[in-house]
Amino acid sequence: MRIPCPYCGSRDLREFTYQGDAEATGDAFERTYLRTNPLGRHKGYWYHDNGCRSWLLVERDTKTHEIYSVTLAQKEEV
Amino acid sequence: MAGHINTTNRISGAPEIDYATSARFTFDGRSYTGLRGDTLASALLANGVKLVARSFKYHRPRGILTAGSEEPNALVELREGARKEPNCKATTVELFDGLSAQSQNRWPSLENDIGAINGLLSPIFVAGFYYKTFKWPASFWEKLYEPLIRRAAGLGRLSNLPDPDSYEKAFAFCDVLVIGSGPAGLAAALAAGRTGARVILCEEDFRLGGRLLSEAGEEINGRSAREWLEAARAELSSLSNVTLMPRTAVYGVYDGNTYGAIEKVADHILQPAAHQPRQRLWQIVATRSILAAGALERPLVFSGNDRPGVMMASAVRTYANRFGVLAGKRVAVFTNNDNGWRTAFDLAAAGAGIPALIDTRTDVDAALSARGRAAGLNIISGGQVVATNGSKALNEVIFTDARGVKQNVSADVLAMSGGFNPAVALTTHKGARPAWSDELATFVPGDLPGGMSVVGAAQGEFSLGAALRGGHTAGLAAASATGHDGAAGDAPMAADEAYRHAPMWHVEGAKKAFVDFQHDVTASDITLAHREGYRSVELLKRYTTLGMATDQGKLSNINGHAIMAALAGKPMEQVGTTVARAPSIPVSIGAFAGHSRGKDFKPTRHIAGHAHAQELNATFIETGQWLRPQWYARPGETEWRDSVNREVSTTRTAVGICDVSTLGKIDVQGPDAAEFLNRVYINAFAKLAVGKARYGVMLREDGFILDDGTVARFGEEQFVVSTTTANAGRIMKHLNYCAQVLWPELDVQIASISEAWAQYSVAGPRSRELLQKMLGNAFDLSDTAFPFMGVAEFDWAGVPVRLFRISFSGELAYEIAVPANYGDALSRRLEAEGQPLGACFYGTEALGVMRIEKGHVGGPEMVGTTAEDVGLGRMMSTKKDFIGKALAYREAMVDPARQRLVGLRPVEAGKPLAGGAHLLEKGAAPTTANDQGYVTSVTYSPILKSWLGLALVKRGPERIGERMRVVDLLRNTEVEVELCSPVFLDPEGSKLHG
Amino acid sequence: MAELNTSPLTAISAFAGAISHAHFEAHGDVHVAERANLGLATLTVRKGQREALKAALLAHYGLELLDGPRVSRGNGLILVGTGPDSFLAVKEGGGWAFARELSATLAGLVSVADQSSGYGVVRLEGPAARQVLAKGVPVDLHPLAFRPDDAAVTLASHVGIILWQEPSARPEQDPVYDIAVFRSFAESFWHWLEQSAAEFGLRQAG
Repeated sequence: MRIPCPYCGSRDLREFTYQGDAEATGDAFERTYLRTNPLGRHKGYWYHDNGCRSWLLVERDTKTHEIYSVTLAQKEEV
Repeated sequence: MAGHINTTNRISGAPEIDYATSARFTFDGRSYTGLRGDTLASALLANGVKLVARSFKYHRPRGILTAGSEEPNALVELREGARKEPNCKATTVELFDGLSAQSQNRWPSLENDIGAINGLLSPIFVAGFYYKTFKWPASFWEKLYEPLIRRAAGLGRLSNLPDPDSYEKAFAFCDVLVIGSGPAGLAAALAAGRTGARVILCEEDFRLGGRLLSEAGEEINGRSAREWLEAARAELSSLSNVTLMPRTAVYGVYDGNTYGAIEKVADHILQPAAHQPRQRLWQIVATRSILAAGALERPLVFSGNDRPGVMMASAVRTYANRFGVLAGKRVAVFTNNDNGWRTAFDLAAAGAGIPALIDTRTDVDAALSARGRAAGLNIISGGQVVATNGSKALNEVIFTDARGVKQNVSADVLAMSGGFNPAVALTTHKGARPAWSDELATFVPGDLPGGMSVVGAAQGEFSLGAALRGGHTAGLAAASATGHDGAAGDAPMAADEAYRHAPMWHVEGAKKAFVDFQHDVTASDITLAHREGYRSVELLKRYTTLGMATDQGKLSNINGHAIMAALAGKPMEQVGTTVARAPSIPVSIGAFAGHSRGKDFKPTRHIAGHAHAQELNATFIETGQWLRPQWYARPGETEWRDSVNREVSTTRTAVGICDVSTLGKIDVQGPDAAEFLNRVYINAFAKLAVGKARYGVMLREDGFILDDGTVARFGEEQFVVSTTTANAGRIMKHLNYCAQVLWPELDVQIASISEAWAQYSVAGPRSRELLQKMLGNAFDLSDTAFPFMGVAEFDWAGVPVRLFRISFSGELAYEIAVPANYGDALSRRLEAEGQPLGACFYGTEALGVMRIEKGHVGGPEMVGTTAEDVGLGRMMSTKKDFIGKALAYREAMVDPARQRLVGLRPVEAGKPLAGGAHLLEKGAAPTTANDQGYVTSVTYSPILKSWLGLALVKRGPERIGERMRVVDLLRNTEVEVELCSPVFLDPEGSKLHG
Repeated sequence: MAELNTSPLTAISAFAGAISHAHFEAHGDVHVAERANLGLATLTVRKGQREALKAALLAHYGLELLDGPRVSRGNGLILVGTGPDSFLAVKEGGGWAFARELSATLAGLVSVADQSSGYGVVRLEGPAARQVLAKGVPVDLHPLAFRPDDAAVTLASHVGIILWQEPSARPEQDPVYDIAVFRSFAESFWHWLEQSAAEFGLRQAG
């Protein structure tokens, strides 16, 4: 799998680590423990550990591994 | 040594064979000679060797079936000694001078194999044999069945010696990856290459050309196909944007347009040249790929179809045309399509006799029949082979004609053709299933992996003209998709010979008719599986082992599934087929490991003072990737505990020096740095004074402890966070998450400076004396000038110094840091200055002893515990929010009955304690229900002359003074202990101050 | 009482040990040398200060700051883009004093951390340099994809690196790469480099 890092460009999976669901809602307990595990489109946090050390929001398909969008979790300043 | 030269089967005129350069080789100890350009298989056939292997289950004599990587039979052990490699396909082994090969799966010899008795027992070894036979009684499994199966299992034998060769990995990137160099692949690579696109062409064979190497008499663009091939190779070599990779098989398709390929760099020579890897594992990222992997000819399923001498028709032709080898002198043909005829014509032209051409069809094309009659062929239309004879090699073929009349002819080769199966494996690696084509009676590619197109025979386009056109068009389209639209000329032109074919899955009533040659699965095994209800292809596979051999069922699956379809009365598209997983050909583990073996299995991290520690006779321990000094043995110390006890005693009575550089160091700066840390730690940091340090604890979101360490404030907007060695990377990631995701509004900057500083702990009653002597008037270390938990930054000896008055040992202690390039020099300076004071270096063991004596929590106490569990609950601020706070006060997290930290001392002095042992009340049985907690850390204290332990015990702090049993059911020990405060030494902390 | 030892501490660069034990060929297509004694510092831009930083860099160093993973060059220093708001600043011969200079010059605009000892930097050049890097670096270094002054934070085998291409006379045929490796990984990185370069011949440059 490859992830197009907004800063570094397309990079191999080995440079990233997956953190978890980026769409978890509710109180702290629900956000921590009650996470969905959807088949299909899913938005998650990834960390470009062996790259620019940016936290990324990656929208991908959990079945096909197709990647729909990748943005920096921290929005660029205007 | 005089070679056993018998090359009577060699014919002249094969353009890929270098007749002037011979290569000597041995097979089962006998010497033979082949020619450059041969494979081991072609050289064996040239020398008249027919019997090359024994089959897996029945040990039946087997010969060479194919001329490619789909070969199921001719598996050999190659080379000798440490380089011995089992299960090499003779059909893909490039012959070299000095090659030695042995047959496998036989004992004592290939000619006389005792295991062949399994063949007589074949009624027993049917489908599901293992499941039925080794089922019960259960007690027989370990002692009888498993050893029996293990002895019989496996093909070939490993050398059991370390592999002397090296393997490596490499990355490649391109616009267009072309897989296969037959006419379709070459046309694709030429078209894409001419546009300027970056092209990689992978070919598993050692020569580019695919089927063009094997065919005679074809024409492209009005010239001989051979001429076109030479021109295509030359043009591709001349293009700087095209990389040709022969001997490189693409074995897998992965997400993100990533392909795995294995390059056999030095398999074709006796041993790799100096510094040359044996094989190289490529990861290729290709924007577009073109699969031109060709098609595999399908065997026919009839009685005795595994006898040495029964071969694939196209392979027989390949041996003649490409290798200049007549596989036999009398070549009978059994076919259900026109391809068998082609073999008959070529072999007849090459000088072989064709005793019979048996075609299952009665409606053979008239022109083809006429050509056959003109060539004088004995044509049997509507015929079927019903048996073969010959003890270890074929000598007779028995067949019936259209009226059912039995005939026999003598033959030493039977060339069979059941039609062609496109090589679709790589299209299925991402989960897509191939699609059944009634027209071609085979599976063709279905949904394709993103970016892939399929051309030529792999797509079911079997004619030369279609392959060239398809390749050219796909090459252009792929290049265009990557932004390359240059001129690429016209598609090469060739004839579109028809693919006329009448499916025939097996000869009715056949006995010992093999479907899967490598796993000895017969048509009757499939009938049995059907009868016993294992009808889905996935169940059929596992019940009979059809397609589970090293060839992944490349030749066998479709025949097997078609037989099942007929038995089930279902059309093939409903029966379906199994999908292949990567790797589609066997790849050695060594290639996957690459550089990462032995000491390079994972990287090793060295402290700046590594060399000095080595000189001081340190024993190192791996902590994560770091190598840390564990203890420093001195002459006369016979075991490690002697050294550790001395290091502890020296530190507690004089002064000890410990390398603490491996602890994580994170620079946190910015106007909001204080607020940021305030939110990260459970305790307050906003008001920490500049020039001070504070111990802090971080929680995870779920309220459990994440890490601990000190935070030093060097400026209004500058902090240095220290982490445990193990968690350094994790905390960096966590802090970046907090800064980037949770609180992007905070103006805070985070940088890892773990590697920038070498840091030494100097601890003990004489630590101040040592440092003051060393630092001179660069810094005043007096208690008033630099009290406990002070930090300072100043220059000394030409370098910046960071000094911390912090203590893990409970002694008066400092940590001194300099830029890591000066770490070695500082380590040596500390040694020199410390010597007159009786100083010594201490390692991680002594560090551990002293932290347990002081009851400081370490890694074992911070796994799944809360701050309250380990006695740090009072640090949790009620005045501010922090990570983990929301969940830290849930009912179960604050339950007073939780296991909490206490100290343990054995009641009987000198009794050792064991980590991991459980605590039980007196008289309680050792059951989970009675479990009171467990021992997290233990040590022997040379100061207190006793074993000490830390433990997590239910309501522990309330039970101090209580006596309990420490029970270790693994080591079978039991010790009575008394629960006590976890701080064993200097509970008032008087040593730290003053 | 013993004499006070006031002599300066001596620096040992990250690759000094590895190079002293290395096996070099007299001839070879891969040339390597350590760039010792560099001034290295991490620069992280403070909130809302990017434009002010650009102006200050231009004023003080004549450096035009490029966005993305690029190398920006000024008088006496370069900035290697390592992340959306972070740079590795490199100065020839600056040592740890370089970080202090940057802190003073760019105060309030960036946070600076000294890394002069944090990384070892090697320069890899020669006709086979690209082939050597392909054995461990999962980034496309083809001349069309990675040019002089391009940078990448990535891996070499399993070791994290900051890689950038220096300008050279013939960057396509004879590329020059600088590779910064966290100090503690120098030995492991070197061993990978030595093994990977052996078939081409590893020569000590300079």
